[in-house]
Amino acid sequence: MTTVDGRHAIDREAERLAYKPPEIRHDTQGDMSTEDRVEKAMHHFVKNFNTQTASYLDGCLHCGMCADACHFHVRTDDPRYTPIWKLELFKQAYKREAGPFAFFYRLFGFKKKVTIDQLEEWQHLLYDSCTVCGRCSLVCPMGIDIAGLVSMARHGMFKAGLIPHELHEVAKRAAETGSPLGITPDKFEDRIEWMADEHEVEIPVDAEQADVLAVMSSIEIQKYPQSIAATAKILNAAGEKWTFRLDGFEATNFGMLSGNPEWQKEATMKLINAAIKIGAKLIVLPECGHAYMALRWMGANMLGKPLPFKVLHISEYLSEALDQGKIKVNAVDTSVTYHDPCQVSRRGGATEAARNVLKHLGVDFREMEYGGDYNWCCGGGGGVVTITRADPLRRRVFKLKMDQVEKTEADELLSSCANCRQSFDDSQEYFNWDYKMGSLMEMVAENLEEDGS
Amino acid sequence: MKRTPTVGEILQAKGVSRRGFLKYCATTASILALPPTMIPRIAEAIESARRPSVIWLSFQECTGCTESLTRSATPTVEGLIFDAISLDYHHTLQAAAGDQAEAARHAAMEENNGDYLVLVDGSIPLANPGFSTIAGISNVDMLRETVAGAKAVVAIGSCAAFGGIPGADPNPTGAVAVSELVTDKPVMNVPGCPPIPIVMTAVLAHFLTFGELPALDKHGRPLAFYGTTIHDRCYRRPFYEQGRFAETFDDEGAKAGWCLYKLGCKGPITYNACATTKWNSGTSFPIEAGHPCLGCSEPDFWDKGGFYEPLSTGNFDSGAKLAGAAAVGAALGAVAATAGRRRQAKYTKEG
Amino acid sequence: MDLLEFARGPALQWAAYILVAGTIWRIFGIVLLKEKADFSEPRARGGLGAALKVIYTRSFTANPFKKATLYPKMLAYVQHLGLFAVVLLFVPHIMFFEGFLGFSWPGLPNSVIYVLGVAAVAASIALLVRRLTSPVLKLISNFDDYFSWFVTVLPLVTGLLIPVRPGFIRYEDLLAIHILSVAVLMVWFPFGKLGHAFLVFITRGTTGMVFERRGAKT
Repeated sequence: MTTVDGRHAIDREAERLAYKPPEIRHDTQGDMSTEDRVEKAMHHFVKNFNTQTASYLDGCLHCGMCADACHFHVRTDDPRYTPIWKLELFKQAYKREAGPFAFFYRLFGFKKKVTIDQLEEWQHLLYDSCTVCGRCSLVCPMGIDIAGLVSMARHGMFKAGLIPHELHEVAKRAAETGSPLGITPDKFEDRIEWMADEHEVEIPVDAEQADVLAVMSSIEIQKYPQSIAATAKILNAAGEKWTFRLDGFEATNFGMLSGNPEWQKEATMKLINAAIKIGAKLIVLPECGHAYMALRWMGANMLGKPLPFKVLHISEYLSEALDQGKIKVNAVDTSVTYHDPCQVSRRGGATEAARNVLKHLGVDFREMEYGGDYNWCCGGGGGVVTITRADPLRRRVFKLKMDQVEKTEADELLSSCANCRQSFDDSQEYFNWDYKMGSLMEMVAENLEEDGS
Repeated sequence: MKRTPTVGEILQAKGVSRRGFLKYCATTASILALPPTMIPRIAEAIESARRPSVIWLSFQECTGCTESLTRSATPTVEGLIFDAISLDYHHTLQAAAGDQAEAARHAAMEENNGDYLVLVDGSIPLANPGFSTIAGISNVDMLRETVAGAKAVVAIGSCAAFGGIPGADPNPTGAVAVSELVTDKPVMNVPGCPPIPIVMTAVLAHFLTFGELPALDKHGRPLAFYGTTIHDRCYRRPFYEQGRFAETFDDEGAKAGWCLYKLGCKGPITYNACATTKWNSGTSFPIEAGHPCLGCSEPDFWDKGGFYEPLSTGNFDSGAKLAGAAAVGAALGAVAATAGRRRQAKYTKEG
Repeated sequence: MDLLEFARGPALQWAAYILVAGTIWRIFGIVLLKEKADFSEPRARGGLGAALKVIYTRSFTANPFKKATLYPKMLAYVQHLGLFAVVLLFVPHIMFFEGFLGFSWPGLPNSVIYVLGVAAVAASIALLVRRLTSPVLKLISNFDDYFSWFVTVLPLVTGLLIPVRPGFIRYEDLLAIHILSVAVLMVWFPFGKLGHAFLVFITRGTTGMVFERRGAKT
């Protein structure tokens, strides 16, 4: 499954903004027969049908209201971007294979077998045009968690070798090298040294024993390395006994985003094992949305039992540390609006943490219209930002975000997710937009009160 | 040769004024839903009609129908019309008995062969012909014999029309309606327990005027009288629409004359003219007297659930069978879920 | 046995058996699938309380979606409340339920019920028009949606025709057709999307338990 088909080569050297996508591009990985692909997809759809997913797939009313919540539909008016329509094949599989009336659905052919053509078409719908942001899950009058279902439907797509190449490449690299961007432990160590020198901060690595295990997102290590220093400054200031570990530092989880549960588990277990090894009581997750979902809410389920340590997103950690007085910050005289990472706020439940941090910073906080839990997604979550062919659509959708931000007329735009930041930076460059996404953590790090003062 | 007097002459002789007679014709026309232009024709037809011969057969019945027709408080035009017909055989009313009576029937049949009317009240037992006989002749034989030369047959009352109370479950006598035995002649049903008197004479007037039976509904009833429900014409209908119902026979609602629906009134599914023509010279009708309609002019009214059960009550079995259905559903659900799990296990193994 | 007796007797009875069996079949078929255990450390209390909370709160639209979904939501409210009122608060219906439940409750005047019934039909028609014209709904709709619409509206229409009493049909035939249409509704109810009437408690409840536990927005 690791070979890439020759139909659509990836040109990694090409300038991102110069990329012109082909009209239709259905990617396949591996050299399975068509029948095998369909069968694989079916099998790995069916594996997900538990009580919860079954009730969701059985309960849909076809009211279409989820379309009004989805940024992809709202911006394009393409009915295929109706969130529940993205699950049509998953639903089809459920009704035929595991639903209460599956026998009749098969016997009378009420629901046809899923075909390869459908699967190829749905590749676009399940990956390019869904960021798993979960806004649709909040509008659904039946309370169906549509986004959660998309994540599961991706399992079948991945196993059938039917996902977008770019995402597959990134996920594969993550599985092979431990990082989606190819950040090996050596490279990470280099970066740490560089940052420690540049920012004159002590950064513990590979301590045998520590209370807190700090982890990073490859995006930060690669594109925003100052995050490493900021993390260190904060944890040092808080007086934590903490460390980075070279055997468990990558917080992103492209196994989860691409739809491979094995890779997802591998990546998660690295962090869990590293934390257990050093007897950590806490893992502080970096500014990364899906890392929070992967470890905070799904980690224990990968382990199969409750985690022996706590998991906090950095915004939660900051909020607690500021409340407890472990760290103190100087007031910042600026106006700020905050972009909520979907997986941390809407789907993760940590919405208030960032707001509390901003309160401690004393900024003029300007909530976006329907910000917080109903925030528009950056458009790049769920792995979408890696998919080059989806760039035009993603940027089109980003307009919603731009409007939302501009209305606040805030001086600064902050978030707490490197993935969002990457999407923002890309679109900012593309549109020559005035707003440059900043980091909540970095703002705290820059404004820490010096010790004892 | 002695000339048979016409109905008109008989009425005149009995002191019915021309004015009164025409009024009756107008009433008849209106209740038969005929246009006013038909009134002179009805008058002429009735006036000039030779006394039509009528043979009245009584089978398994209670004589209530005859009572209804004869117990008018004052002599009415319809009563006199009834007098005017040549009722050649009616074993309750006629003076003759035994062989004489039967001879009268045979004579009438022979004299008016092909022209006479047969009126029947009561149902006919088929289980055993001996259950009901007249002059040693079983009901079914007498009916067949009498009907053979008749022009038309009118089944008076619910027993003759639908089997009625003798035909109620379990129907021990095997009672059947006239229409089940007479298939080669026009049969009209005038059901009711008993039917309304004017319905009878109006039907006769129609027969005299046009020489045929009036338009009938699917139960063979004259549409002019059985075309609308009691409920549609009921003076208590506004209370139904307002949702004001008597809950018991002695509550405030009952005293205030509210709708009797909840007390089992069958008005909504009963086709009859009670609410408009009323009974006893237009005095009243059951609902006006405070009792729900029993639906006596409908087929099988005796077997359609309790008289005091509201109409909208479903005929449900107890919860036991529903519990059984739930158990079946649970089993099917368990089977379906097991099949789903098995498929999952298989697919997981296959990868 | 005439049509009315058939409708009130065997038809309704078998429809009730199928309704009960089908409902339990579908619920069991769903809840007896494997359960997914959640070992993550809860942020807040999940459980039944959370389920009940979301079962209630999801009846209302969150502010950000109000504008976009106002039209269909309003129609759906009228349709659903109209249906509830017509089914449960029409006095003859209450008497019907009393017939096998053994207890009753106060109803509304018929005239009010007629108005609500007509409103429910009108809302249903508007929803159908929307389904037939909106690109999204055209795409995602299937036989179930249209058939479920039909079997829901049919008893409403036949029921509302009873007081109108059109000349071409007799009261008891209309009543029989009304009851038969209810029987059809009952038979289809558990198998198609009308099952949302009971599935809504499971879907909303599940989401409530999962997301309230995370302290996330529900």
